[in-house]
Amino acid sequence: MRLLALLATFFVTANSAFADAITITDQRGRKITLDGDVKRVVTIPIPAASMFIAVDGSTDRLVGMHQLSKTAIKGRILERFYPDALTIPSNITGKGFSFVPNVEELLVLEPDLVFQWGHLNDDIIEPLVNAGLEVALIRIGKEEFTRKWLTMMGAMTGKADKAQAMIDWRDDVMAEVRAATADIAEDDRPRTLYFMNYLSKLRVAGGKSYNNFYIDLAGGKNVAAELGMFVDVGVEQIIAWDPEVILLNGFEAKLSPQDVYDNELLADLSAVKNRRVYKMPLGGYRWDPPNQESPLTWLWLSMILHPDKIDWDMAERISRNYQFIYGQDVTDDDVANILRVDMNADAANYDIFGAN
Amino acid sequence: MSIANKTTAPARLWRFGLWGILVVLLGLSILVSLGIGRFGVPIDHVFAILLGNVFPIELTWKPVEERVVELIRMPRILIAALAGAGLAVAGSALQGVFRNPLVGPQIIGVSSGAAFGGAFAILVSESQVLLIGAAFGFGMLAMLVVYTISRQQGRASILMLVLAGIVTSAFFSALVSITKFVADPDDKLPAIVFWLMGSFASSSYEKVLLIGIPVMLGSLVVYLMRFQINVLSLGDEEAQSLGLKVERTRWIVLVAVALISAAVVSAAGIVGWVGLVIPHFARMLTGPDHKALIPAAALIGAIYLIHVDNVARASIAAEIPVGIITALLGAPVFAYLLRRAANKGWSSE
Repeated sequence: MRLLALLATFFVTANSAFADAITITDQRGRKITLDGDVKRVVTIPIPAASMFIAVDGSTDRLVGMHQLSKTAIKGRILERFYPDALTIPSNITGKGFSFVPNVEELLVLEPDLVFQWGHLNDDIIEPLVNAGLEVALIRIGKEEFTRKWLTMMGAMTGKADKAQAMIDWRDDVMAEVRAATADIAEDDRPRTLYFMNYLSKLRVAGGKSYNNFYIDLAGGKNVAAELGMFVDVGVEQIIAWDPEVILLNGFEAKLSPQDVYDNELLADLSAVKNRRVYKMPLGGYRWDPPNQESPLTWLWLSMILHPDKIDWDMAERISRNYQFIYGQDVTDDDVANILRVDMNADAANYDIFGAN
Repeated sequence: MSIANKTTAPARLWRFGLWGILVVLLGLSILVSLGIGRFGVPIDHVFAILLGNVFPIELTWKPVEERVVELIRMPRILIAALAGAGLAVAGSALQGVFRNPLVGPQIIGVSSGAAFGGAFAILVSESQVLLIGAAFGFGMLAMLVVYTISRQQGRASILMLVLAGIVTSAFFSALVSITKFVADPDDKLPAIVFWLMGSFASSSYEKVLLIGIPVMLGSLVVYLMRFQINVLSLGDEEAQSLGLKVERTRWIVLVAVALISAAVVSAAGIVGWVGLVIPHFARMLTGPDHKALIPAAALIGAIYLIHVDNVARASIAAEIPVGIITALLGAPVFAYLLRRAANKGWSSE
C-alpha cells in the first residue's frame, strides 16, 4: 500500500514535470528545455527587453536588461506604464553598443534564461553557456525573425495567445500597408536613407537591415540597399545618392533633424531642401529596430513617404493598440511625444498626424 | 659621405630635376583627386569650378558640384597631403637623430601618447585647441618615456629603442581603453571612438588650418635643423667632437616631431607606416643628406597619402579606414626595403 502510494506520487510528480516542461527552439536551431514558465529572464539584445515586458504584460519576470534598453524607457511612456522597469539592473554588458556579457553580474541575477544575439560572434555567447546559463539566441534583419521572438517569449511565459495576437496584428497591418503601397510605381517611391549613426560618424542601413525591409514595405527605396547591414559611408556618397527622405535613429538621443539641416555639406540633398528629415518615433520602444510596435512604424513611415496618397488615423491606431499591447490609455500629448513632434514639428507634412 | 652643404654640379642638376618632377606630381595629384569621388563631377567642371574662384566664368556647373569639389574634396585632399608630408618629415627626422631606419612616429610611442592625450581632452572638454595641446603634451611625454627607458650609459641601442617603444605604446593604448571605458556612452564615447578611428571623412577648412599650422611649424624646425641632423646621424661621439650640442639638438628635433605627430593624430587618428616607409623611398632618390631628404620626403608623403585616401573614399560606397590601406601597402614595402638596406648598409650600428 505504501509502495503503491509512493509509486503514485512518483508518477504524479513525473507526469506534472513532463506536462510543465517547455521546449523551445531558438534562432540558431538550439533546443532549450525549461522546467516550466520562466520566472527570471535577462535580455541582452536591446529591443528584447520592452518586447518581453509587452508580451508578459508586466516587469515581474524581467530581472536584467541592456543599458540602452533602459534609456528607451527612462523618461518615455513605458516608464509611466511600468514604473518598476527602472529598478531592473542594466549593468550586465559592456558600455555603449557592447553585447559582451558581464557574466558574474548576470549570475547574481539567477536568471532561468538569457536572451542573446545569435548573428554576431560566438564570443558573446560562450561565456554565458560556460557559466551554465540557459541561453536563447535571436537574430535580426527580417520580419520573420521578429515574429519568432514573440513566439518564443509567448511560449516561455505562458502568454502564447497574447504573442499570437501580436503576430496576427503584424500580419494584418502588413497586408494593409502592402495593399496601400502595391500600386505605387517604382519612380514614385522616394529614395530613402536611414542613419544608424549621424553624430559620431555617418553609418547607414544597407540591404540586409530590418530598416531596409520596412522602407520597402512602406513604399520607399533604400538608397543604400547595395550595402550590407550597417555600413560607414562618406558625405560624398550621400550626396551621390541624393535621398528624398532621411530617417534619423532613436539611439542618438540628442540627434534631431536640425543637425542635418544645419550641415552645410548636405544642403543640396532633396530631403534637406524639401525638409523631409524625420526623427524616428519612440513609443514603448524606439520605432527603428524591430519591436512590439513595428506595425505602427510601418503605418507612420508609409504616411511620411506618401503624404498625398496614404492617410491612416495614427492617433487612433496608437491609442487602440496601446490598449491592446499594454492595456493602457494614451492622451493626445502622449501621441505627440511618441511621434517626436518636439523634433519633427517643422518637417514637411508633419501636420498630417494631427498631433502638432 | 658629405655632410657639409656641398654638392657637385651634376648632382645639383639631378636635384633640381627631382624637385620639378615631385612638385608637378603633387600638383597633378591634387587636380586629379579633385575629379575622383563617389559623386560624379566631370573633369571640365572641376577645372571650371577652380578657375571660377579667380575669374568670372559663366556658371556651367551645378551648385552641388561646386560644393562637392570645394567643401568636401578640397579640404580632405589638403589634409591628406599635410598629414602625409608631416608624417614623412617626422619619420625622416627621427630616423636621422636616432640613426635608425626602423624608427617612425608610431614606433617610438608618440602616436599612442598623442592618441591618449586627445581622447582624454575629449573626455574633459569640448575645446579643439585643448585637444591638440593634450595630444602634443602626451605625445611628448610618451617619447620622453621611450627615450629614458632606452638610454643606457648615454646611448640608445636600436633594440632597446624599439622595445621601449612597444612597451610605452602598449601602456598608452591601455590608458586610451580606460578613457573609453569611463566615457559617457551616449555622448563622449562615440566622439572618442570616432576621433581615434582616424579618417579624413570629417575634413573642413578649419581643420586644414588646425593641423596645417603645427605641421608646417614642426616641419620648418626640422628643416632648419637639417645640418645638425646630418651631424647627429654620424653618431653621438663624432657629433660631439664636431662641436654639436648633442642632447639639445636632439630635443629640439623631438619636440618638432611630437608637434607634427600630435597634429596629424588629432586630424586623422593613427595613420601607420607612412613615416616609416616614405623616408626610405626619399633616401633612395636623394641620398642621406637631410637638406634634400626632408623636402623630398614631404612631397612624396603628401602625394602618397592623397592617393591612398582616394582609394579609401572613392573605391566603394562604404568608407575604408585609411590606416588599413597604409598598413597593407606599407608593411610589405618596408620588408622589401629592409632586405635591400641589409646589403647596402645604413651608416650606423
